Amino acid sequence: MIEIRDLHKSFGPLQVLKGVDLTVEHGQVMVIIGPSGSGKTTLLRCFNLLETPDKGSLALNNIKLDFTPGGKIPQRTVLSLRQQTGMVFQSYNLFPHMTALGNVMEGQVTVQKRSREEARTKALALLDKVGLGDKADTYPHQLSGGQQQRVAIARAMAVEPEVLLFDEPTSALDPELVGEVLKVIKQLAREGMTMVIVTHEMKFAADVADRIILMDNGVILEQGTPQQVLEQTKNPRALQFLNRLSGED
Amino acid sequence: MLPPCRSKKDVRTMDDRKIQIFLDSLLPLFKAGVAFTIPLALVSFALGLVLAIITALARLSSWRIPKLIARFYVWVIRGTPLLVQLFIIFYGLPAAGIVLDPFIAAVIGFTLSVGAYSSEIVRAAILSIHKGQWEAAFSVGMSRGQALRRVILPQAARVSVPPLSNSFISLVKDTSLAASITYVEIFRKAQQITATTYEPLLLYCEAALFYLLFCSVLSALQNVLEKRLDRYSAS
Repeated sequence: MIEIRDLHKSFGPLQVLKGVDLTVEHGQVMVIIGPSGSGKTTLLRCFNLLETPDKGSLALNNIKLDFTPGGKIPQRTVLSLRQQTGMVFQSYNLFPHMTALGNVMEGQVTVQKRSREEARTKALALLDKVGLGDKADTYPHQLSGGQQQRVAIARAMAVEPEVLLFDEPTSALDPELVGEVLKVIKQLAREGMTMVIVTHEMKFAADVADRIILMDNGVILEQGTPQQVLEQTKNPRALQFLNRLSGED
Repeated sequence: MLPPCRSKKDVRTMDDRKIQIFLDSLLPLFKAGVAFTIPLALVSFALGLVLAIITALARLSSWRIPKLIARFYVWVIRGTPLLVQLFIIFYGLPAAGIVLDPFIAAVIGFTLSVGAYSSEIVRAAILSIHKGQWEAAFSVGMSRGQALRRVILPQAARVSVPPLSNSFISLVKDTSLAASITYVEIFRKAQQITATTYEPLLLYCEAALFYLLFCSVLSALQNVLEKRLDRYSAS
């Protein structure tokens, strides 16, 4: 469903992605792990063109993009790609001037041109699904971090994307609030939602992933099932990273 | 011979006369305020705000020509006195065949002024919105225009209420400059009454009181507006 080939991205002199290839199948949950600065967030942001790659190609269903340095992607293509993806950010990024309900309705009304009534019904159903049906009329600043992130998941789901992208969805949360967010993501995984998740939560990764990608220094070091990557890898740098993590536990 | 000593009764009649002039002037000055000063301020501010938003967006855009035009405009307006601008528009343009009504000339002058100064406020307010808000808007499929309209500008509006209120209050007082291009607002009215009563101290203080009154009402309105917009911010 998503195919990425030879993806390169630099910020100035800093090469962040140095040729990444990967494929995400429909209904698959792919988890990207790796040390800080390994390029995993940049890779994720290339999926919906929040970053424009310098080189390589990206295909999502019928949209196929080839990147060249300094090349421009037509705005219409960018928008249609973004309408097929949803993103959940580390710092939630809810719209602070709208209620929880307003946040979940916004994309439906402004982008998809649904009627307010239809958008409202769908938004309420989604808020129910993430366990916040009773918070519909609450503004983001009145919600806890975990609740805000669940609203953000509902907002991303509302435009019915083909794939949901998660950028370290629990990194900004207090430890006791991590569980409620992971529970919602697991629920979506069980329902067959296609997802790409950047995370530091190893136990969660092992639990939810169909496929794990371990990145380091702008390249994919190791990829496969959780078992293959987390338990059977022979790559010394991968082992080093995994050992350091287990040392922290 | 010594001049006759002024009796207490004379003093009383002098005071009475002043009080009478003061009271008689209240209504004409108030009318000048409501019918001339306030409409001029409101129309100029509304148009100026639109111009300010357009100018701010032009300066923030990546297109070179609009950016240059916007910078040139702000540079010229900020670098020349408002009074001189009004004189050019009202007394200068007729030489080029453009004769304007005092109200129209004043509206043009003040709109250009508000547009230039407030464009910096609007630009700063837009820049103050966290880039995560743009990204969140983009992530649900919004175009730049949609993100701006639905997500960024509403938040920027909240940030810019205090500095824009400042601009508006300044503008209300600056409208007194329109007196110099024959627009009969509060100050010019006070000048006219002074010309017949010879009471400059009294009349100009009275005019000042009206400005103070109008500006106090505006400050109160600013508080109401800020409270209304506060419901969604944590602080």
